[in-house]
Formats: sequence, C-alpha cells, structure tokens
Amino acid sequence: MLDVDERTPPLIVHHGEGFSLQQFPLGTRVVYPPDSLPGLPDVTAAIDAALDEPIDSPPLDELLFADMRLAIVFDDLSIPLPPMRAPDIRQRVVEAVIERAAQAGVDDVHLIAANSLHRRMTPDELQHILGERVFRSFWPERLRNHDAEDPDDLVVLGETGHGEVVEINRTAAEADLLVYVNVNLIAMNGGDKSVPVGLASYRSLRHHHNVHTMLHSRSFNDPPRSAMHHSYDRMGDVVADTVRLFQIETTVNNETFPPQFDFLNTREWEWSYRQQGAYLAAKRANELAPAKVRRKVWQAVEAPYEVTSVNAGEVNAVHERTLANVHRQQLTEIDGQADILVFGLPYLCPYNVNSVMNPILVSCLGLGYYFNMYKNRPVVREGGVLIAFHPVPWEFHQVHHPSYVDFFDEVLAETTDPAAIEAKFEQAYATDPWYVHLYRTSYAYHGVHPFYMWYWGAHALDHLDDVIFVGANRKSVRRMGFRSASTFNDALEMASDSVGRSPRITYMHTPPLTMAEVR
Amino acid sequence: MGAGRDIALLARRWRWARRSLLPHSAIPHAPPAQPREFPTEWARTPAGQVARAGVQQGGLKPVLWTQTRPEVYGREHLDGLEAPAIFVANHSSHLDAPLVLCSLPPGWARQVAVGAAADYFFDARWRASLTALAFNAFPVERRGGTRVTGTAKRLLGEGWSLLLFPEGTRSSDGWMQDFRSGPARLCCGGGVPAVPVALRGTYRAMPRGRHWPGPGRPRVVVRFGRPLRPEQGERPSAFSERLTEGIARLWDEEETTWWEAQRRDRAELLAGTAGPDAPRWRRTWESTRPDRATTTGPFRTWPE
Repeated sequence: MLDVDERTPPLIVHHGEGFSLQQFPLGTRVVYPPDSLPGLPDVTAAIDAALDEPIDSPPLDELLFADMRLAIVFDDLSIPLPPMRAPDIRQRVVEAVIERAAQAGVDDVHLIAANSLHRRMTPDELQHILGERVFRSFWPERLRNHDAEDPDDLVVLGETGHGEVVEINRTAAEADLLVYVNVNLIAMNGGDKSVPVGLASYRSLRHHHNVHTMLHSRSFNDPPRSAMHHSYDRMGDVVADTVRLFQIETTVNNETFPPQFDFLNTREWEWSYRQQGAYLAAKRANELAPAKVRRKVWQAVEAPYEVTSVNAGEVNAVHERTLANVHRQQLTEIDGQADILVFGLPYLCPYNVNSVMNPILVSCLGLGYYFNMYKNRPVVREGGVLIAFHPVPWEFHQVHHPSYVDFFDEVLAETTDPAAIEAKFEQAYATDPWYVHLYRTSYAYHGVHPFYMWYWGAHALDHLDDVIFVGANRKSVRRMGFRSASTFNDALEMASDSVGRSPRITYMHTPPLTMAEVR
Repeated sequence: MGAGRDIALLARRWRWARRSLLPHSAIPHAPPAQPREFPTEWARTPAGQVARAGVQQGGLKPVLWTQTRPEVYGREHLDGLEAPAIFVANHSSHLDAPLVLCSLPPGWARQVAVGAAADYFFDARWRASLTALAFNAFPVERRGGTRVTGTAKRLLGEGWSLLLFPEGTRSSDGWMQDFRSGPARLCCGGGVPAVPVALRGTYRAMPRGRHWPGPGRPRVVVRFGRPLRPEQGERPSAFSERLTEGIARLWDEEETTWWEAQRRDRAELLAGTAGPDAPRWRRTWESTRPDRATTTGPFRTWPE
C-alpha cells in the first residue's frame, strides 16, 4: 500500500484496450497487489501428491475401477484471466487423472466443460485448456460443453432445505465418479460453486443468481458473508448426498502479464529504464494500431501464471486450503473506508475472452467483480463514489452476446433498477426460444446471462451514491444510469457533490488482482 | 498524449539521469539494495591517472582555491611516511574530498583512492564514471555487507593509499559524528598507518544542499596530523578511538593552539567536536557562524 506524495510518479491506469499514466492527488491511498508468490517447483509431483494423498478422501487410484463411468469436469475459459500460457494447469491435472484411469482399465470417460450458462467453447479453446493430447483423444464424442438446456442430459438431484432445486448435468451426476478440475483465480470460485453452478440449469441457478442474494452477499468474494455461497453450500450438500465427487483445486500466482508487459506487474517507482522504454513502446504501438489489430493483440495475451497449490479430495476440506492460498496471494489489509474508490478497468472480464467487452460487461467488471474484492467492509463507504476508467464503447459481439444487445436496448432503456428488471424481464429472456437455440447451437451466452451481469453490480449500486466513468462513451454510460467525465480531475470535481472537497481516495491498482481486507 | 509528451513525462517524473526517489510510504517496504560493484579499475590505469591529474590540477584546484580560501597545515607529517596509508578525515561537505586531494603533496595525491558512498555516487553510471575519474573513487557500501572492505583491502594490497570518511555520511549540522570501525579494521588488519585529517570550515562554506561554495571566499582549513600506527594486537575499536582523538586534537588546534590542544584531556577534546548539546538549529547556527577574522569584505551578520 502506498500514500501518494510529491515523490510518487504517475501511476498506470488501465482503460479497456489501453493504459496510461495518471497523476493522483496527494494523499491518495494506493492498494497494490501483493508481490507474486513463487510457483511450485515441481507441479507434476504436486499433482501426483494431491491425487495420492487427498484430503478426507481415499486416493484417486482407489476410486477408479474397470467398467466404471468416469466424468471429468473442468472450469471453462472464464478463468483464469488472461488465459494461462500453455500448458494450462487443467491440462496437466486432467492428463494425470486420465493416465490413472487408463491404468485402472476405465473405458467410459467423459470430459465436460462446466460452462453453465456461458457460451460453448470452440474446439480451439477446448484444446488450449486441455492440450492437444486430450483433445485428440476425446473430441468430439467424449469431450463436450455442458448444455444447460438439454432436457435429456439434466437431472434433478433434490431440493435444499430452503426449497432450492438442484438440477445438474446428468452424465456427470450419474457417473460412478465425478472428478472436478478447478482453477481458483479469486475467492468466489471453487468449492461448492464448482458442480452446483458450473453444471447447473437456469432452473437451479435462479435460486442464487438473483438480486436479493447479491444484495446480501457482502462480499461475494468472502464466502462466509455471502448469501450466494450459503446457497451454493446447501446445494453442495445435496450433491454430496447423491454424487461421488472428487474435487481437485489449483491456485495460481499473480504473474498476470507476459515479460514484454512486465511493467504492468511492477510498481511504477521501481520501473527500470527498460520497463519505461517498454511502456513507451507498448503505449505508442497500442495507440497507432488499428482497432482490430489492437483487440487481437490484447486477446492473444497469455499469462505466465505459476501454480501455487494443488489440493484434492473432499470439496469443503480442499476448498479451505484453496481459499487460504488465494488469500495468501491476493489479500491486502487496509485501514478504514474511502470516500472515493478508483479503478482502471482492463480489456478483459470473465465473459469476453476472445470477444468484445460490451458496456454491461464493463459495469459487471467494475461494480461486480472489482467492487466486491473485499473482506469485512467495502473499500468505499456507503454513499461514496466509484470512479472507473474505461472507454465503455457501445459495442457488442453479435454471436457471443445476442441477448446483451436486446437487454441494453430494451431493458436498460426502461429501467436500471436490478429488482425491477428481474421482476419484469428476466423470465422472458431466460425462456426465449431464440436465445435458447443460439446458446445450444451457436456460441452465444444464455438469454438470461446479461441479467446476472447486471445483478452482479446490485450491491455496489445500492451502496454507492455515484458512479463516474472517465473517458467513456457518454451515451452508453448514460444508458446504464452512470455519469461520464472527460478527465480524472473532472470526475473528482463531479464527485465532490457527494463526498465534499477533501475526500479520502483509494486507488485499487489492479490487475494483477488484489483483495482488500478492510479493518 | 503524443510520444514526445510521454517521454518528457517519464524523464521528469522518473528523474532520468538523476537519483530516483522512493515515495515516503514505500521506503519501509523497499527491498534492500543489492551491493553492486561499479568497475573503477580503468580510473587507475596510467591514462586514467594522467586524466585525473589534469582534472584535479587544471580544474578542481583552481576552482577551490579561487572560490574558497584554503589553509593547509601539517603536510610535514607525511615526510618519511611510506605508502600505503589511510587518510582519515571528518566529513561535512562535498568540498572535503577534493580539498584533501588538492592539499596533498603531488606524490601522495597521485596514489590516493577515495572511498565514496556506493548508494550516492555510484547509483547512476554517468555519476559513477565522473566520480571515479576525478577522485579515483571506489564504491563503499555504507549499509554493510560483504563488500564493505573488500575493495579497500585489495587497493591497499596493490599499494594504493586511501582517503576514507569514517562517519559514513556528511554531517547534517557541521559537528563530528561517531566513527564507524571500517577504517580502523583496515589499519589493524593490514598494519597500515592512518593519517588523521581535520577539516574545518567546509560545512560553513558548502553545507548539505549547496552545490557551490558560498560567497566571500570562505576560509577552509586542512590539518594533517602525525601518522598513527596500530600496535601489535590492538583492537580496531581501540584504534578507532585513537583516530577519533587524533582528529579531535587537530580540530581543537583550530579553536585554540597546538599547545592547548596537547594539554586537554580526551573528554574535553571530544566534547569540542561533538558540538553543543542543544537543538539542531543551535548546533547548525554555531557551525555556520561567519569566520569574522578571515572572511573578506565587510562582515555582515545577515548575508545580503
């Protein structure tokens, strides 16, 4: 953490597919991500150790037998971000599991991407996650995306004590063993979120992906204080009663950007001359590049993440260790809340990998993911202001986000209130046959997905007095009910209406990711 | 923002070719700087020596002797002394090293290497090169580490004499600070004689924060003392105390007379160099009191 003083150079601020140096007012508190942890020296050995000595579970080899049906389920491309440089950790874990299954004589193996209501992954994307060997062996008969709208491949496992229906993928649920392979990028992921969410249908998801739950998840990155996770846990209990589950969870460090962009991983005052030169060159090239080339370059960025932990066994016991590792990498303690919280929003969120970051996803990243990167209390006080840097272009990927286009044009034009939107529009979008058709046969996110993205920001909308985007498309920002400013100083001036002339400002210097523990 | 403005911004805020500054709140978290050895052997080659003689005699000395009024005493103590030796001086100004070097007899000046703070003089390549050439300087790690005395030992072994400032940094108020034991350890370890050198008036002439001597050709005094030799089995701490006392005696000569300085006991001598036990402003006030007797022109309490 840093307090900006007269010696502090301008700080890097992301704004979509770009970045720049921004001077912050003296006294601004800057929350930096902790230094990247060293990776495991021998990942293969760590995977083997996790499979041979799992937590609260027999070793994997004892759970495998000939004539069984084995389902291997893995997280989809929404994590980690940016996508991990090959080999992805899921590939290494899945290969280890398959190797053992082969030795045990298991023939009936199914690999299922836990993409829930996300878009299907393309063959190339699957191959990137699982590697060429797995892809060549199983695609397309035994390697596929989960289809949350396939009535023949869904099964209701039961109901929780709160009346929540648990409906998940039938192939996975009815297998003799379900092995879940996870990458845990933030504290929200993993644990009972893996199977009950990743393999669920809309019928099941609506119990926790709703406005009420989001308003009572403070934050959704702090599972003990997250109503959403309480619901996951209840569903997880139902799953545990009916499915033989072996959970494998992994964590990665904070090496988010490749070496040519390592200035983005480094605190500004520590920049070497080489890193300053890299900044100049990258910024200039980025500004001069045509929009298509720029997007292609950014989307091609692969993170040189290193694996910091591999744990396997019973879901909750494994996840406890996983969370400790996530916190070890990301948690920063800070004192007191700010009046103004500042973010630089980058080019990528979980739902626009190889795609376009449309305005709703920008809102979701800022007001949903980034705002909720806290424990105990929000970084900004109630009635405070969020200032975010992003161009917020009025731009949509027509294949990936068809229902987003209509949500933006039709729903947000009428109201931006999450509860009103949920009550009036959600059902129609969720069951629209055209959106269902696109979700199942094309590469479209489910019709209800933009609603969830809007709900993701419900807590922030309820908590904040004002949201100001710097350097943004005024029309798209206004459509979402926010305000736009040309410069950071203008934004501070506008914020003074809510927080006065001498606000306490906190800049969350991310990515790489950091989570604030606010005392 | 255009590329030119970006470059200008980086040059200004990242202090290109200047010492980089850590934000205050980042200082406690900064990793300790790794000791790094800037190569200085080239400055001691024959070509380097010729160039240095030109810089010192053609540049430094004329400037020093015109901008200040140096008085040098005790050079006769160097007669008969064989190199290598370690010149140990108090330190309160950037004038100190060039003043001592230019005050030494030519035969000695050519063979003296100066220990300079690695983190200050050797942090930028251009500054390190200039320092090495002009002063025959070598980097000294002030914060300790394995290379604190390594280079110094090697230079002594090669026959170079050294000029060291055992306070480790310039005095912030003009009075003498405690000595570190490095120079004494070098003397005791190698049986090398030490020459105490007292520098007076340099703080008044050019204290911290000034980059040029003050107006009026301020008087500065260099007093070389009788060489001190470590005795058989003498501990560095004891030799360091003798060194301190030797400089304190020379310091006192400036205030009193040679005879009175000889008669004073150690406590009185040290009290004289440590300055008044008073707030910092008063210590600075005393150190900067104008030298009424020798400052040229009419005396003014308040400079114009």
